[in-house]
This record gives sequence, structure tokens and C-alpha cells, in this order.
Amino acid sequence: MAKSGIIGAPALQLGATKAVRAGEKSVPTLLLAPTMIIMTIVGLYPLLHSLYISLTNYNPTFGTSYAFIGFANYARAFGDGQFWYSVGLTLAFTAISVALSLTLAVFLALLFNQNRLGFVVLRTFLLIPMLITPIAVGITWRTMMMPDLGVLNYLLSLIGVGHLSWASSPSSALASVVLVDVWQWTPFMFIIIFAGLRSLPKSPFEAAAIDGAGHLATFMNVTLPMLKPVIVIATLLRIVDAFRTYDTVYIITRGGPDFATDLLSVYLQRVNFRIFDLGYGSALSWIALVIVLVVVLVFVNLTGFLKLVADKENR
Amino acid sequence: MSNSRILKSSASALAAYALAIAAALFFAFPIFWMVTSSFKSEVDISAYPPVWSFTPTLVNYAQLFTELNAWQALINSALIVGLATCIAMAAGTMAAYALARFDVKGKEFLAFEILSIRMLPPIVSVIPMFIIARQLGIFDTPWLLIAAYALSGLPFVVWVMRVFIQDIPQSIEEAAMIDGCSRFETFWRVTLPLLLPGLAATMVIVFMFAWNEFLLASMLTSQEAKTLPVIAANAIKPKAIAWGLASAAGVMMSLPVVVLVLLMQRYLVRGLTLGAVKG
Repeated sequence: MAKSGIIGAPALQLGATKAVRAGEKSVPTLLLAPTMIIMTIVGLYPLLHSLYISLTNYNPTFGTSYAFIGFANYARAFGDGQFWYSVGLTLAFTAISVALSLTLAVFLALLFNQNRLGFVVLRTFLLIPMLITPIAVGITWRTMMMPDLGVLNYLLSLIGVGHLSWASSPSSALASVVLVDVWQWTPFMFIIIFAGLRSLPKSPFEAAAIDGAGHLATFMNVTLPMLKPVIVIATLLRIVDAFRTYDTVYIITRGGPDFATDLLSVYLQRVNFRIFDLGYGSALSWIALVIVLVVVLVFVNLTGFLKLVADKENR
Repeated sequence: MSNSRILKSSASALAAYALAIAAALFFAFPIFWMVTSSFKSEVDISAYPPVWSFTPTLVNYAQLFTELNAWQALINSALIVGLATCIAMAAGTMAAYALARFDVKGKEFLAFEILSIRMLPPIVSVIPMFIIARQLGIFDTPWLLIAAYALSGLPFVVWVMRVFIQDIPQSIEEAAMIDGCSRFETFWRVTLPLLLPGLAATMVIVFMFAWNEFLLASMLTSQEAKTLPVIAANAIKPKAIAWGLASAAGVMMSLPVVVLVLLMQRYLVRGLTLGAVKG
């Protein structure tokens, strides 16, 4: 496993103590101080402030005075059907989008690992979507997906596929934004998995070939287990980002039509910045934060992520 | 080789090329469409069936500056993202050095605490930031976004630079210190030059995420401090959508990131995975 994609921290334990010289006791504290100050002031303090606001009925459109109302906002949240609908929609969106990107990325990584002439050039095209500003991605796909004037329906009509309504009908809107998300973020998973595939040792594949294993058997029993750490990391980062999707959906559908794409971030934006119900909005944000944490923890436990990290440190 | 084997291998080569070209087309077509749309006139862009050959015009790009006030947004974006990136790089690299080279109490816990910023959905911190900014009178100024982007860049810098620093053998530093260099001189003259490629690559990633950020930028600015993604989103109004203008804005704001990242491709994977996967 020494050559696998995951890199360790071998120098960490050995060298650290002996490098500390006389009079250097406060150096690490000083070095860590700027990061800690930024984290406390810009990260932690706003979070705690948000927790406090969530216990009030603060709404700037009603003036500056507000009252402490305990957990009333949280109680209200549990009866808020639209909120839980958004949570469910966001979880579904995340699951579908990440699963599709992952499958496509693994497939593409295997394909481009063949090293044929010209594949390096073609591979560059697979990198660019994740670099495009999400707002620009939204604008472009919205143009292409226009039902009457869009180029996608035109291209489909050439091959005899009829008129699709894309993001403008409730039944296909979610699929459309999933498609955009898959288009933009499959490249992210692809380059990570591709890099992992490239750094795998050769000998297990040779052994499998000698044993006469077929392509599928080699993939299931050799490639996939060795790639697991890389896949787990790519998937975890992608889950976290898919859960907070906002920009493209804001541009393409703004949560519509008929709430078909009303993801959590879009719903929260509406509560906070249309009706300025900031106390309630803060409570909802905190619930969202807890849901993200639960999702991440479940994923980490299911995949043995921490064990992977620990193995990496011990090697 | 027998005939059937040659046939079989050329068939699989054909299939591989067909799939690879199809994939490249799928991922490249929307970018092609955005770029060409940005050079189309009002008539060409609303033509159906879509036109493939047309006389390119720069009218959309000119309108960016006359109608959307793109200069102001460009300056704002450059200033905000530039400063935030510098702050994150400086603070983060210092912390990374401490974590890589010193015995710090509760080091792993600290590192995971920094990593947890990466997990935090921005929608959670946007309300308190909005309220605090209004109270401090820094709403709609660049400072608020600079602070927010510096924070969100930190986990990348700390985790990636930590790995890059660990990759440099400690013995090199020790040799310099035995020769009489102070710890700072050693870092400045020995470690930093070796770290430069890693620093540049990390910087590009931090820059990319801040440059493309929209949610915080749209909610924490109203007039003065608008960034490029915010004015681009403003080109989309419910009634009349200026597609050419919006595409031009998209091209203009995506171009710096695409160029920078393609130049720094070598360390991209390491940066994106916060140092966990070697590219």
C-alpha cells in the first residue's frame, strides 16, 4: 500500500520533538495564533451568535427590538412541512447526484487510464466544467435548456427525440438540475479517482492476470478495494458540497416550478432574505447544520473513514 | 497474432475512442455554447434553429462595462479575493508549519477543527454575518467578504501545506540550523523556496473557490461591494433575460480560473482533496 494514492505523514512523529530548540517554546503558539483568531472571530463567533438569534423572534423589518422566545422557533420548525420537504428534496438531490457522478467518474477514470493516443487532450475537456463559475454554469444551461429556443431540444429533434420541457416543468425540473450538477462536478471526482488509479501498484493486476481473472473480476476484487480510500475522500467532499448547492439552482429555477427544486439553501434564502424572519431562519440553519453533521458521521462510519485516516498516519 | 485477436483489439480501441470522444463532447459542449453565445448578436442568439456560423460581435462585452458596471465588480472581485487569498495563505501556512514541525498539544483535534470549516454550509453563517455587519457598519463593504473568504480558504491551506511541508525532509532544515541560521532564516531561505510550487498550487485553489463564490457575495452586498458572480446573476431578470450579456459575463469571470488552474494542474488533485490524495 506504500505506493497508493493516499499519502502518509511519516515525518510527523519522529522529527517533531527533536527539532524544538531552546527558546522555541512559544513559537508554535505564535504560528497558530492568526489561524485561531480568524477561526474564532469569523467562524465560531458568528455560529454562536446564530444560536442565540435562533432563540429570539428577531426580524429587522419589525424594528430593532426583539424578544427571547426560548425554543419556540425549533418547535415551529418541526411543524414546518415546507422545511422538511426541502430537507428530503436536498437529501434526494445529494444522493442521486453524488451516486451518478461517482459511477460516471469511475467509468471515465477506467476509460482514460488506457493511455491511448490523444486521450491526454480529451482528458483536459473533462477538467474544465468544475472550474467554470457556478453562476455561469447556471446561465449557460438555462440558455441551452429553453424548451422552445434551446439548443438541447434542437439537437434532440435531429435524432428524432421529441420536445422536452427540462427545468420548466415540475416533473423534469429536479432531473434537469441533477444533470447540471453531474455535468459540473463529475470532473472533480474524475480527476481525484483518476489520480488514485494512476498511483496504484502494478503487481496485484499482474497477479490477477496470471490467475486468469476477467476484466469485471479484476475490477471488483482488485481495483475497487485498492481505490476505496480515494473514492471515500472524493465522495465525502462531494456530499458536503452537493448538500449546499445553491448557485446553479438559484439561476436555473429559483426553487420552482411548483417547488420542484426547492432545495434547502433556496428555502433558507427565502425565509431569511425575503421575509427577513432571521430568528426562525437561524433555527432552521442550525437544524440544517445538524443534518449535515449526521450525514457526514453516518458516511464516515459506513466507510470506515477514520480507520483509513488512522492507517495512513500509522504507516 | 491471429486475425480474430487483431479484430477484437481494434474493435475495443474503436469503442474506447467513441466513448472518450462522447464524454469530451458532453463536457465541452456547454462551454463551447457559452463562449460562442457571448459573441453572438441579439438576433443570432434568439434564432431558431440555432445558428452555428455567425459574424462575431463584441457588443456583449462592451455592454458588460456600460450596463452592468463590470469594472467596479472586477475591481471588487480582484481586491476581495486577492486579499482574502493572501491572508488565508499567510495565516494558514504558519499554522501548517507549526502542525508539521512542532509537537503541539492536541494537534490532531486542532487539525480536525480547522477541517470542519470545510464542512460548514455557508447558509448557516450568513445570517449572523449579516446582523453583525449591519451593527458594525461594514455591510456592503469589501471587508466582510474578505474575512469570510479568508476563513473558508484556511482549511485548504492548513491541510495541504502541512502535507507539502512534511514532504520536505526535516534534515535539510536541521543542517541549516546547525550552520547557524535561526528558525525563521531557515524557513525563509531553505524551506520556503522548496515550498513555492505547493504554495502556488494551493493559492490557485483558494482563489478559485473565493472567486466563484456567490451565496455570501449576493447576501452580504447590495451596491458597493458587488463581485462578478453577483452582477452576472443580475443580468437575469424574470422578464427580459440578456443571454448574450450573461454569457459574456460568464466567460469573463471563468477565464482567470481556467487559465490559472490549467497552468497549475500538477498539484490540483492534492489541493482539492486537502492533501489526502497525491496527484
